[in-house]
Amino acid sequence: MAEYKNVEDLTYKEASTELELIIRSLESGEMELEESLESYTRGVELLKTLRSRLAGAEQKVSVLLKDIDGNDELVAGSPADDSDALNL
Amino acid sequence: MSAWNLTGDAPGQPRAAATGEADSDALSVSQAAELAAGALHGVPKITVLGEVTGFRGPNARSGHCYFQIKDESAALECIVWKDTYGRRAFDLRDGLQVLFTGSFDLYKPTGKMSFKASSFTLAGEGLLRQQVAQLAEKLRREGLMEPERKRRIPVFCTRVAVVTSLSGAVINDVKRTLRRRNPMVEVVCVGAKVQGEGAPEELIEGLRRASSITPAPDCILLVRGGGSFEDLMTFNDEGLARAVAACPVPVVTGIGHEPDNSICDMVGDRRCSTPTAAAESIAPEFSELVNALDGRERRLQRVLEGKIAGAAAACDGLGGRLGRAMEVRLEREHRSLDAFATRPCLTSPVNIVDRREAELAQTVDRFCAACERSRDRFAAELDRLAPRLRSSTVHMDRMGHGLELAASRLRSRGTQLLSGPAAELGRSAAALDALSPLKVLGRGYSIAYDGGGSVATHVDAFHAGDALRLRMVDGDVLATVDAVEGSGEPRA
Repeated sequence: MAEYKNVEDLTYKEASTELELIIRSLESGEMELEESLESYTRGVELLKTLRSRLAGAEQKVSVLLKDIDGNDELVAGSPADDSDALNL
Repeated sequence: MSAWNLTGDAPGQPRAAATGEADSDALSVSQAAELAAGALHGVPKITVLGEVTGFRGPNARSGHCYFQIKDESAALECIVWKDTYGRRAFDLRDGLQVLFTGSFDLYKPTGKMSFKASSFTLAGEGLLRQQVAQLAEKLRREGLMEPERKRRIPVFCTRVAVVTSLSGAVINDVKRTLRRRNPMVEVVCVGAKVQGEGAPEELIEGLRRASSITPAPDCILLVRGGGSFEDLMTFNDEGLARAVAACPVPVVTGIGHEPDNSICDMVGDRRCSTPTAAAESIAPEFSELVNALDGRERRLQRVLEGKIAGAAAACDGLGGRLGRAMEVRLEREHRSLDAFATRPCLTSPVNIVDRREAELAQTVDRFCAACERSRDRFAAELDRLAPRLRSSTVHMDRMGHGLELAASRLRSRGTQLLSGPAAELGRSAAALDALSPLKVLGRGYSIAYDGGGSVATHVDAFHAGDALRLRMVDGDVLATVDAVEGSGEPRA
């Protein structure tokens, strides 16, 4: 079995893609049971991190500005005001 | 009033009319209309800018076009003859700002003044739209709008650059939309002027800067709020359109409102009707992500449960087969043991001994009987042979007697036969004895033999060192020759 990357080091998209691949390979039914269990464990781990990321998602906004040398640099910007947010 | 004199048609008369003198000086309507027409003809060819209104297309019968042109405070009847309209570069329609070149005319039967246009071209926005259409056609011919050129925008762009004015409401709309829809999308704002002088250049630079960000954004949103046609002309700039087409990062456009369609929209990778729609198009709704995760969780669960159930079923199946195989095997072993158990050697081993004993007894009986039978037969045979033997030896006594007689006769006859030759032999023996060399040897002579065993008669048969055998009367002497000395007598 391949070495897994730490789930925290994966981007949302990477984790999401890996989860999908794991499910597909599980669904293909060609895995040994032990391997399946290992993949399942990894899948659950990925699922957990994806859920927690969704739950804790906050908009990140930055602005591309020129520094004094005229080079572009990313400066943290303010997220959208949520005055129009629905209060559910 | 001096203008009237320009015509020179009726000098004096207008002056009279104007002074309101006697009725006899009054002009007829025809004369007045003629006068007016003459005055209008005196106006040189002019170009008039006006908005087309009341245009109903060429007249069904004549093919001429009758409509009005107007501005904020005035309107003019306008006529375009069939031939002129046939040479048109575009269709006239209400609302178009058009430059009409022509001259005034007066239709005397009705006294209506009209402007007869001998040519017309689009003006202002109309002209702009025509230019835009031409540019669009040019870029289309270059293939910049081909559907296969359009790059796929990821379903879920996690990083997006927004190129627009940072001072307008649009940037906030985009941020708010994305925050509400999917806060996981990282927004990078790249400011640029979106209208007026220098706006296309700033937007081109904005696209360049946005596509140079590392890590690269998944797409660039090129957006602008609604505005007049002239306001949105920035996005019909050829340079900007080419920059959009050449941008290394896929570009999503959201320019103006729904009906607005700019060239940037046409060459971009995805066209959205508004900035908000553009923002919504680049990432899935948050709830969709949650649903997707729920779905994946269910699939994960289901597939593992299925897997385990399958493995369990396989185990059961194998277990069953194992059990059955074992049973069959044991059954077979049982049967073969049972078969062994029924064999006589195991059921009654004594029988075998008994049978052998009986066989042996039988053999003994047969043997004894056979012996007796043989003895009796031999005895009977003997009894039968004895008298025959006796009777057969009777003549042997007679033959023995004859034989003894013949032997005695043979002896006497033999002695008779041998006496003569024996006397002869004695004599010959005496003579032979007298002549025997052995006798000579007995007198002290000896015979010399050389190495080859031949009798040597002369000394030259020997040389010093040769072997020499001397035959004496009672044996041989083996010697070696030391020297040979001749007696000097010649050889016989």
